[in-house]
Amino acid sequence: MKVAIVGCGQIADAHIQECRKIPGLDVAAVCDSSIHMAEQAALRFGICKSYTNLETMLKEVRPDVVHVTTPPASHLPIGKIALEHGSHVYVEKPLTVNVAEAEELIEVAVRKGKLVCVGHSNVFDGAFLRIKKLYEQGRLGRIFHVDALMGYDLGGTFGSVSMGDPTHWVHHLPGGLPQNNISHPLSLILEFLKDERPDIHAQGFRWRKERYGDQRDIFFDELRVLMTGKEVTASLLFSCRALPVQLLVVAHGTKGQAIANLDARTLRVVEGASLPGPFRKVEFAYRDAIQAMGEFRRHIGSLLSARLHFFEGMNELFRLFYLAIQGKGEMPIPMSEAHRTTAIMDGIFHQCQENDRERYEVTMSV
Amino acid sequence: MILVTGGTGFLGAPLVRKLVELGHYNIRCLVRPGTSADILRPILEGLPSAEVEIFPASFNDRAALKAAFHGVEIVYHAAASKSGSFPSMVANTVVGSENIYRACVEARVSRCVLVSSFGVIGVATLPKGAWVNEKVPMEAHPERRDPYSFSKHRQETLAWEYAKREGLPLVVVRPGVIFGPGGTVMTPRIGMKVFGVFLHLGGRNQIPLTYVENCAEAIALAGTVPGIVGEIFCIVDDDLPVSRYLLKRYDREVTPSPIVRIPYPLLKVLSKCNVWYTNRTKGHLPVVFSPYDLGSIWKGHRFSNKKAKEQLGWRPKVSMSDALKITFASLARAEKQKTAN
Repeated sequence: MKVAIVGCGQIADAHIQECRKIPGLDVAAVCDSSIHMAEQAALRFGICKSYTNLETMLKEVRPDVVHVTTPPASHLPIGKIALEHGSHVYVEKPLTVNVAEAEELIEVAVRKGKLVCVGHSNVFDGAFLRIKKLYEQGRLGRIFHVDALMGYDLGGTFGSVSMGDPTHWVHHLPGGLPQNNISHPLSLILEFLKDERPDIHAQGFRWRKERYGDQRDIFFDELRVLMTGKEVTASLLFSCRALPVQLLVVAHGTKGQAIANLDARTLRVVEGASLPGPFRKVEFAYRDAIQAMGEFRRHIGSLLSARLHFFEGMNELFRLFYLAIQGKGEMPIPMSEAHRTTAIMDGIFHQCQENDRERYEVTMSV
Repeated sequence: MILVTGGTGFLGAPLVRKLVELGHYNIRCLVRPGTSADILRPILEGLPSAEVEIFPASFNDRAALKAAFHGVEIVYHAAASKSGSFPSMVANTVVGSENIYRACVEARVSRCVLVSSFGVIGVATLPKGAWVNEKVPMEAHPERRDPYSFSKHRQETLAWEYAKREGLPLVVVRPGVIFGPGGTVMTPRIGMKVFGVFLHLGGRNQIPLTYVENCAEAIALAGTVPGIVGEIFCIVDDDLPVSRYLLKRYDREVTPSPIVRIPYPLLKVLSKCNVWYTNRTKGHLPVVFSPYDLGSIWKGHRFSNKKAKEQLGWRPKVSMSDALKITFASLARAEKQKTAN
């Protein structure tokens, strides 16, 4: 199958590398509005064709699948053009800027009989898949609450780029920097919280000092969200203060708890103890130690057998998406799920802005 | 009017200072939006009053660039990303530079001095001990080099395209490894720290150092010396030290760490293993040193500053021994501070 990458920024490198690991995929072309960006990707990865015009690329290359790795505001127009030209589309998260755009994109996909997959790749990370397996085996009982924490470093690779430029696209998203990131923890939560429209309470905070006098002072650097569904509740914390950067998920069940660290790729399960009184404390600590040792052994094994790839979840999501295209499996992230996530994100940012009305009006006038 | 990009950076700040010292009092520093004007105060401390203004503008904002370039005659383009991935460095260094070149052409400046890098020179195929100077062609395979060299190569290539196509009055300065207080002297040409152990890869190779103040003066001259448009200048200081000497001093004066010396033949074998493993495991570990990097960085070349001396009339005013003394003292203070914290 022929693949084309549209948008040659940082994440495009990962898309090209992960596509190349999947037998039968050929990254045939790259496209970017900047010729320098398109050429650097083509040159470094030995891709013969690079374009600055999307329609020209689609007409000449006729890719089976287009990976959209551009800033979110362009996902809808690029996705629509690619679908209209007969390509399936993989879109980096967030799917679109808002739910109206998501509906429009999905409508075109349905009309053209094509698939759209959103890059909720953390759902396919090993540590999270292990939580789901424990749940399916019944070891956790019924999941009634999920906590998710995502740390973000404003001085990190992407953070420093966006903080160095008030015109950076991330500052023009309705939800600012968090909108580009919270689909990671949110997509994990929504694997358990299945309500179409859960009740949402969300609050945004700005803990950093104002120092620029422009858009960089406006976005929330911390988001606290409480979601209530019919059977499951969830809390989401996105924080630029939570360092080192981690993505943590805790699934609380009626029989046990599972705590996954998606960055460290570790899992800890807390189940009932059998010993009485103070011996219970020792038993819990013993179980923790045994599990930690098991994780250590697992990681050593993975290191020696070269299985600690950074984008393992993305690779698995690609693999499943390409199987679905060939009719050999279900869509790994159904389009309806991508739509639901976008609608819930809209709800979160709407609430944050409502709770910050005075400042929000200033934002809009900047 | 002189315009300097990157004028508050490690090299740009001494460049602004040097320009004022050389009698240029009308200078505009193009800085990122949100940069405080106070940033210039320490740079200009102790100098005669000069009109150095801060002009905040994004390189991607063409309207702001047009305003910034109004009345400008000489441009020093010293801004560039120092670290990051390939795409982010190209986005920052190359995409932004094109707007600078375009603004130069539109404003009809009389000269644009691009601060490039030794990383753009195609040294991989040169034999051991060969001279690296302005006559050596540019890198034929920039994609095989590190992100910094790659982005600088594309930045300079684009500048020459503008010179040829649009008449950009270009002078290119290619500094070696710029060092000084606030920076470091421990370049990857000497080696790298892996799991707490310093792998000494440079052996007895000469390290192409240039002290930041000396380098700033050479760049300043490249903007003002007449009749050099279209020329390239390699900038290194005199009396270049060898890798082993620098490492020994760093170990003694700054912080000791276990050192493993890796001879070049062994390095060649290791680099082949590194590439083999990366390919075999589909990128489980990155290529830290490819055979191509080896030829470019650790083979052992000699470096010339003859042309800069002859045509710019430049001499490194701070001797290598003084420059190293100042830098190692600064590194030792920083290390002590780090330990105290």
